[in-house]
Amino acid sequence: MNLCKKYILTIVILITVMISGCRGSVPLYYIDPNVDFSFFKNVAVLPLDNLTNNKASAEIVRHMVISELLATGLVNVVIPGEVMSAINELGIRNISSLNKNQIKTLGNTLNVDAVIMGSVEQYGDIKSGSMSAPEVTITLMMADIASGNIIWSISLTRGGLDFMSRHFGAKTETMSEVVQGVVREAIQTLLAY
Amino acid sequence: MIKDTTIKERRFFLIRALSAFFILMACVSGCAFGNGMKHYTRPGVDTNSIDKIAVLPFENFTSDKFSDEKIRSLVIIDLISRGVDVIEPGEVRGLLKEMQLRSLNSITSRHFKQIGEILKVQAVMTGSVGVFKVSRGATVSYPEVSISLILHEAETSDILWSAWHTTGGAGFWERHFGAEGKTVDETAKILIDDILDTLY
Repeated sequence: MNLCKKYILTIVILITVMISGCRGSVPLYYIDPNVDFSFFKNVAVLPLDNLTNNKASAEIVRHMVISELLATGLVNVVIPGEVMSAINELGIRNISSLNKNQIKTLGNTLNVDAVIMGSVEQYGDIKSGSMSAPEVTITLMMADIASGNIIWSISLTRGGLDFMSRHFGAKTETMSEVVQGVVREAIQTLLAY
Repeated sequence: MIKDTTIKERRFFLIRALSAFFILMACVSGCAFGNGMKHYTRPGVDTNSIDKIAVLPFENFTSDKFSDEKIRSLVIIDLISRGVDVIEPGEVRGLLKEMQLRSLNSITSRHFKQIGEILKVQAVMTGSVGVFKVSRGATVSYPEVSISLILHEAETSDILWSAWHTTGGAGFWERHFGAEGKTVDETAKILIDDILDTLY
């Protein structure tokens, strides 16, 4: 009987350790409760601000966002070239400081219902002692073209070393998997609504 | 008699301990998974009916200067092996030069239409290479490749199909037992094959 109790205790400890190794951070996001998102059929993803040292991170994340949005099957996404062409045509120099009027004009030029903008804040390896693991932080926002208001916004971080990787050498995600995970999680909050 | 019982108990304990170890290993190796590929195919479009494609040069977001051309070649070879008629890369490059396209990122619907008319193709493929390198993990090095592909209808520039996929990372055996992993090129070939399986 005592032996049985010991095994049960060991299994409980193992399960606790395993659970603590799997990530479960809660995303910080805002979604306008008064907006019907099924109305948005055509969306443009603007170039993202790159706040990292990796020159290509913003474009990598942008391509991922476009791909994930398309994969949902709920929206059509304007091709990136059209977006760049409209931005140049309207003489917009700084995407991060668009005002309501510019958002409306850009949206109308592209003939979309909403635009997605944002930034990549962290894109690189985080060191912890002798080990390192990729970590990505992104912020995405969706603006309604009709009103120019932000109707969805999310900031997410994913990656880094978890308990199992640090102590048992468990598989850490690659940078690409981290990017895919963070973007997918962000888009899921929109879908869940 | 006492000795027999002790040996039995020890064996029993050893078997249980080994079982717990393997369960733990299975769980540890499973924690990082769950990033399956998602792709988009435009509703009502039969991509199998597209038999002539122009593959434009890819955007390169990596530090390897030639990764875009390497991946593009692999994509073209894979498409040809699936019976798709692919326009010669030189012909595409010449046309883009003629059209004075400064950046691949600035291709508009007008350009797609022009490319379609001149090269007489139904669809135009664009893409980008996000990662193409040997990455260093916590304890081992491993190949990592990620690419994004988009197929546009030449006439309307509508996106017919799109996929983003990544592969690589050290597996259980590489991490714990030092088994030899795949090369970057092998990883890229597998990745492209997986992606194009969703198209044709």
